[in-house]
Amino acid sequence: MTNYIPEAMPRPTNAAPWAKVDAKKTLRIVLASTLPAATAALLAISFGWQFEFTLLAVFLPLQLVAGLWLGTVTAGKRGRGDALLVIFTVFFSALVLVLLMSVLWSVVSNGAAAMSWQFFTQNNVYVSANTSLEYGGVGHSIIGTVLIVGLATLVTVPLGILIAVYLTETRGKTRGLIRTLIQAMSGLPSVVSGLFVYAAFIVTGITQYAGWAGSLALLPLMLPTVSRIAEESLRLVPADLRSAAVGLGAPNYRAFLQVVMPAAKSGLVTAILLGIARIIGETAPLVLTTFAAATTSVNIFNGPMSTLPTYLYGFISDPSIQSAQRAWGAALVMLILVGVLFTAARVMTRSRVGKTTKKIGK
Amino acid sequence: MSQQPDLKIPERRKLNTAPTSLGDKIFFRVASGAANFSIVLVGLILVFLLWQSVPALQSQGIDFIFGSNWDAAAETPVFQIGPMLWGSFLISFLGVILAVPMAIAIAYFIEFMASKAVGRVATTLIDLLAALPSVVLGLWGFAVFTPVAAGWAESLNKAFGWFPLFASDGAGFLASPFIAGWIVAIMIVPIIASISREIFSQIDRDLINAAKGLGGGSYSIFKKVILPTASGGVVGGVLLGLGRALGETVAIFYVLNLVFEINWYEILQQRGGSIASNILARFGEAGPAEISALMASGLVLFVMTLIINSIAAWVVAKAQPWRKNQ
Repeated sequence: MTNYIPEAMPRPTNAAPWAKVDAKKTLRIVLASTLPAATAALLAISFGWQFEFTLLAVFLPLQLVAGLWLGTVTAGKRGRGDALLVIFTVFFSALVLVLLMSVLWSVVSNGAAAMSWQFFTQNNVYVSANTSLEYGGVGHSIIGTVLIVGLATLVTVPLGILIAVYLTETRGKTRGLIRTLIQAMSGLPSVVSGLFVYAAFIVTGITQYAGWAGSLALLPLMLPTVSRIAEESLRLVPADLRSAAVGLGAPNYRAFLQVVMPAAKSGLVTAILLGIARIIGETAPLVLTTFAAATTSVNIFNGPMSTLPTYLYGFISDPSIQSAQRAWGAALVMLILVGVLFTAARVMTRSRVGKTTKKIGK
Repeated sequence: MSQQPDLKIPERRKLNTAPTSLGDKIFFRVASGAANFSIVLVGLILVFLLWQSVPALQSQGIDFIFGSNWDAAAETPVFQIGPMLWGSFLISFLGVILAVPMAIAIAYFIEFMASKAVGRVATTLIDLLAALPSVVLGLWGFAVFTPVAAGWAESLNKAFGWFPLFASDGAGFLASPFIAGWIVAIMIVPIIASISREIFSQIDRDLINAAKGLGGGSYSIFKKVILPTASGGVVGGVLLGLGRALGETVAIFYVLNLVFEINWYEILQQRGGSIASNILARFGEAGPAEISALMASGLVLFVMTLIINSIAAWVVAKAQPWRKNQ
């Protein structure tokens, strides 16, 4: 049989994805992706246009035209849609990243001015709106945050992990319902959580404004995060491990405690860390339950306490320059805390694979 | 003729999966106890809020939701949250409209365009955005973003002021639903993005490769393969974001002017509402009657978010069949 090449169907010129990209093509791509930006920048500088105007009214249309041209030249009609997709994706992704960077940068640059040793150690007792930044700090708020978040963590983590156990280890009938409920709870408005604790503990006279009420208000907010991530990590443990343990005669609880849990250790730690990161910045529930204080208090069961979020909350709207700087300083401290927790969680997730099992027989 | 042998099929053995040892019994009891606690917790929140809001609901009646007046100092105090309720929805809708393109774009970028290393960096950044405390975002919104966004609002008004949506009475552009909508959008982008990304990553690669082999470009693949497959999950993510936006408190507390007069659609005006922010703003100086009204508004907010989030959770679970019964 000879090779049959249908003549009625000419081979499309552009249907060779394996072909080497020639210089002309490369040049086109470079031109289409740099020329609009360069033109827009040049025009903006020479006419003194505003940045936003240049971006939306000059750069984007130019870039769209250039992209459509490039798409049409390389892939015909189909190429136009591709070009639009790329332009919109990059534009909106960049918008998100620019907004995030703006937040990070303004916190770091404005907060740096307030940083000093005494800012971390002193409290707020003798500070008024115009007190110089050399006096006073967030020491009492750091203590309050550590105590309140610590208590919330102590209560929530076992609960969250047990819920994850229920979802993964048991054959309970209500697993679907619980999973949906936990997912729905993750959207619980934080202020509602505060109102609930206020109604249940402060209105009923069980306690006055106190740190532990704040911890309780944080519980429903932390619980979904912990149990969801713990569930994910328990689920990553191969079923064979569990089956092997049970097959060797271990009761389920020992199979879980001695086989599944160690294997999922890093995931569980990640769940705890991200749970803490979730609640460390919660403000509204603490305003309603622990209130704020200028003094240092280590008694979590009695009297108002200051925390980093409520400290920040109190200073934002104060018009004095010093107050604004204190607010930015507290924001930076919070950001550092979140960053540390977050990095730790990342490191834990990365080391999940391969390092946890030891060689047998050693 | 063959004789049917008189075989007696033994009765089916019952498999027993119930725990037998005491340790297991305790283990499973404790686990399901914890799971049931989450149901109890939601129930308790409802019960206590309802109990506290009875006085307000009784004295205000149905006008509590639809009226638009709030006066705690009057002889017969009036508490009506209509503008706050609508304001919450307006801001959330605005936030979702702004957030959806950003979230889908970044999810698509990470999953289909970026190299592995770039994708990992972008994922980390988005997760970091999700972990930003809302009060920090509030500070940023108040001090940095509001002036910038007010500039945007002014240009919008100049260019499209004839359109009712962008009308302005000239009182200024600070503290409008427009700015609050942006802040909310920044808060919910990570939620929508992470769910969309997960759904995108689970799309069968063979489908995409087949579409490529048939000559599909990236746009036609996006339109005909990715979107139809992922739409359920994306919708679920959007609903979760909506639920989160409705309950956002501190971040928009500083960038919104609460006015008890319904602002239906004029997003650039300095008149807005938000149930959650209203609670935070009034709680400190509230007397018992007003606290009861605030509890009632919290109850309304809770029921709304619970409904939206449950629907969202259900939709997301539906859209992720690979997670079923794992």
